[in-house]
Amino acid sequence: MDDGDNSIPSLVDAAATGDEQAWHEIVDRYTPLLGSVIHCFRLTKAETQDVAQTVWLRLVEHLGRLREPRALPMWIITTSRRESLRCLSDRRRTVPYDPLDPSWPIFPTDDAEPDAELLRADRHEALLAGLAELPARQRELLLLLVADPPLSYAEITERTGIPTGSIGPTRRRALDRLRQTFAVRDYLAGPLAAPVAPGRTACLAPSRPAIRIDRERGEGHDAAPLG
Amino acid sequence: MTQHRWDDDQDLLDDLSEALRDAELPSTIAECGKGAYAWRTVDQDLLLASLSLDSSLEHMAERRSAGGEGRVLVFTASPLSLELEVMPDHVAGQILPPGPGKVRVETLDGVTFYVDADDAGFFYIPRKPAGPARLRCDTPAGRLVTDWIYL
Repeated sequence: MDDGDNSIPSLVDAAATGDEQAWHEIVDRYTPLLGSVIHCFRLTKAETQDVAQTVWLRLVEHLGRLREPRALPMWIITTSRRESLRCLSDRRRTVPYDPLDPSWPIFPTDDAEPDAELLRADRHEALLAGLAELPARQRELLLLLVADPPLSYAEITERTGIPTGSIGPTRRRALDRLRQTFAVRDYLAGPLAAPVAPGRTACLAPSRPAIRIDRERGEGHDAAPLG
Repeated sequence: MTQHRWDDDQDLLDDLSEALRDAELPSTIAECGKGAYAWRTVDQDLLLASLSLDSSLEHMAERRSAGGEGRVLVFTASPLSLELEVMPDHVAGQILPPGPGKVRVETLDGVTFYVDADDAGFFYIPRKPAGPARLRCDTPAGRLVTDWIYL
């Protein structure tokens, strides 16, 4: 557990120079985001594990190149999307093509209209990347507040030490902080204002993705290299 | 700025809750993430060659993959880069700019083996590693390590 004020860039710097504890903290903070992206592709359990493992292994070596706060979540989103797509591509190589099989992955190249599922994925990624930016105490409280099954305030007090009377105000401050995170502010500012991750449209399940690998933008950007 | 649904505390919390419910969160994701640090490269002189092309993603647009052709991967560093063609049972590669070298294939289960690159930089890996792997190349022009990759 961090002391609450470790910013993402300082964690990245520390992990890049040998601080394993800082790396563990990065993993804890960004596991929900990574899990959310992979979930879009409806991979099997084994495939999910493969993709997650590859993304983490690769990130360890890329830490030294990620300086600004937005770079890390963008890198995770882009890399895990591409690895998930690679997984689907492997499947296609090993399964013979059957034109009558409705589950056969089809990947239209045109930019599809952003549909509800794509918008939902963007919204989730923004919130989970925002959550990762919060200090540990606020992050922990929000996670307990949305726990399923729900916890009572008394149980939350027991787990966090936050007095029951302070939970309401702490919740309000945590949500205010969430709105002020880079991830949520970028999302709310809209697609024109936010930095666009290469492969941004390359998401979602076999039935409905739009694939556009934008290599020109991918090249030379440490924030989100291909893979 | 116009009013947004997230201006309301409960709506914001509800959406966060939905986002977390939708995520794949097996504990194994965090566990393998923490274990990944053991593979951190501390060798300052080793160039990191990032994956800059994966033809399997390019071919996603087509209904079938191009028959008979392997998957092409390009790892770029400066001044060296590495190209691989991944076939069903072997991997062919070239170090660029062309030159001799020693290639080490590293896998997570600790299985490591070496192959030699000839004077034109060509090398041949007779079997495909099962899990994530990376390649290290030692050449007179420099040393590089690729991104981790599923071959």
